Amino acid sequence: MFFHIILERNMQLHPRHFGRDLRDKLVAKLMKDVEGTCSGRHGFVVAITGIESVGKGLIRDGTGFVTFPVKYQCVVFRPFKGEILEAVVTMVNKMGFFAEAGPVQIFVSNHLIPDDMEFQSGDVPNYTTSDGSVKIQKESEVRLKIIGTRIDATEIFCIGTIKDDFLGVISDPGATS
Amino acid sequence: MSIEPFNRLVKLAARAFYDDITKGDNPSKNTRSDNRGIAVVVLDALTRRQWVREEDLAKDLKLQTKQLRRTLRFFEQEKLIAVDHRKETAKSAKIYNSAFNDNNNYYVHSANGNGNGSSINNGGNGMGDDKVKMHTHSYCCLDYAQIHDVVRYRLHRMRKYLRDQLDDKNKIQEYLCSDCGKKYNALDVSRLISMEDMNFHCERCNAELVAEMDNAGEGAGEGDDNARKRSREKYNDMLNRMEVQLKPLVEQLNRVKDLAVPELGSLQAWEARALAAARAANGGSGGDPRANQGFGTRMPFVGEPKIEVAISGVDDTGGSIAAQNGNEPIKVLPPWMIKQGMKLTKEQLGELKEEPMDGSLDPLGSSDDKKKAVTEPEDSKHVQEEFMKAYYAAYIKREQETTVAASDAHLSSTERLVGEKSKRGDNDDGEDVEWEEEAPVDENTSGNFKVDLNVEAGVSEEEDEDDIDWEEG
Repeated sequence: MFFHIILERNMQLHPRHFGRDLRDKLVAKLMKDVEGTCSGRHGFVVAITGIESVGKGLIRDGTGFVTFPVKYQCVVFRPFKGEILEAVVTMVNKMGFFAEAGPVQIFVSNHLIPDDMEFQSGDVPNYTTSDGSVKIQKESEVRLKIIGTRIDATEIFCIGTIKDDFLGVISDPGATS
Repeated sequence: MSIEPFNRLVKLAARAFYDDITKGDNPSKNTRSDNRGIAVVVLDALTRRQWVREEDLAKDLKLQTKQLRRTLRFFEQEKLIAVDHRKETAKSAKIYNSAFNDNNNYYVHSANGNGNGSSINNGGNGMGDDKVKMHTHSYCCLDYAQIHDVVRYRLHRMRKYLRDQLDDKNKIQEYLCSDCGKKYNALDVSRLISMEDMNFHCERCNAELVAEMDNAGEGAGEGDDNARKRSREKYNDMLNRMEVQLKPLVEQLNRVKDLAVPELGSLQAWEARALAAARAANGGSGGDPRANQGFGTRMPFVGEPKIEVAISGVDDTGGSIAAQNGNEPIKVLPPWMIKQGMKLTKEQLGELKEEPMDGSLDPLGSSDDKKKAVTEPEDSKHVQEEFMKAYYAAYIKREQETTVAASDAHLSSTERLVGEKSKRGDNDDGEDVEWEEEAPVDENTSGNFKVDLNVEAGVSEEEDEDDIDWEEG
């Protein structure tokens, strides 16, 4: 699920950036530092949408670095248990398959794949129904439900299932476009 | 076409799902707001009515309007009933009353007897001092089609939830290292994946992991496993109990599945149909509701309009009065309309005169269905066919009644306290309603009044049920 929230961060800025465009430099550094990171509490920071406020800088003794407390608005993505996501399959093996929904990696183990789908090893390992009408392989798009998350300080990993109504390969062409 | 199986469905569902609910956020503020069991009473009452004004229903059930409204709103949210609000003057209320009287004559009679009927009659009497004041009135009736779906959906969700729990559908897969016995679960696999063969390898000994089987873990006897086993048992038990306790409901659903759903239509449509039928029956004098009130009772308007028109004026005295007035020739009933529990004149039977339908179809003799069927082989062929159909319908209904009676006993035994409450309420209601419904029957025996078919069908069945309920209490 996506959230638009305000976060705060202390930014250290090298003295060489002090000048007319100090603020721009600060924002650029903030984006570089923060975007794409993951925190266990808030999830993945997808994008910074604006700066709320920049506090007073504090000069560090000895180094000359200045610390600014910056409040910024950002979009975060955090997966939840029970959430339905659409994801792209990245790898298939006999234990199941891995998929990615944006920054989050999801594993679907083979007992959470419908029973009528069998693992086919070979050049392109895949899961296929007995009649061959549905195939899950690398680059397939699937709709899955998250049934468990492991959230570390810097990493979020999910396990999902496609063994439920309306889950599985997204075959509807309208849904993918 | 029959509304009866659906009414049975509603009653069963009411007892199964709405017996112990308490509406409102403060369950026991005072005794007056204690409305456990009211839901069942209200739903039962609605099965005996069609579109009914909330105030009238409240009066009928001797409930406070507020309390009833709360219950009804709950049912509206549950999508069991259809509700229509409209602003109306005393005059337009009359339209409803005239329609209402036609359909629920028994009810109006008794209400008058109780001295409670004043509001109903106001529509007619108050015409003189025609007030332009607008009042918002709410009407409600059961939405049979939707009830059918709601009940089925509810059962489906219950079953699905329990099955999902049983299947451990959302269980997290565990993996075991065959060499060193270290366990992992699916959440760890992101760091176990080996790029060489795309399989999972143990962090410690780099052996390939195998998925742990469900029943293999049973021997381990860990607390975790035991807990899972216990919850499995719990859900299994719950599922079994659900199947047993809701069996009558499921059976009724299956029976009802292929039947055409009785469609009451919107309030306006219903009124229009009722009025049209009333006019047809009374030779155009249907404009005045008072005139209708004393006259014929009519079939409930549960089917297509054309059928209802055919049925109107079905009653013997109603028909004969119309005939005396010379307003309208008596209608000949088509054979498929002739059912158990109808009193028919010769004219209505039309060319079937010669056949002793009248006696054999005595509404009060409905208890010996079976004998009748056996003793009537000498009837003319096609009439016999029609009669057999009607007989089988009646027979199936009786069978259902017995099963349902048993099921009622079962259902209400689940919640003794609440059941008692509801029974007391039911009792009141039952007495009230029975009295109302019996009134025309008694009068019928004295030959002055007509029999509402609806009532005929209802009485015996009603009594059955109420009897059972009381035994329980």
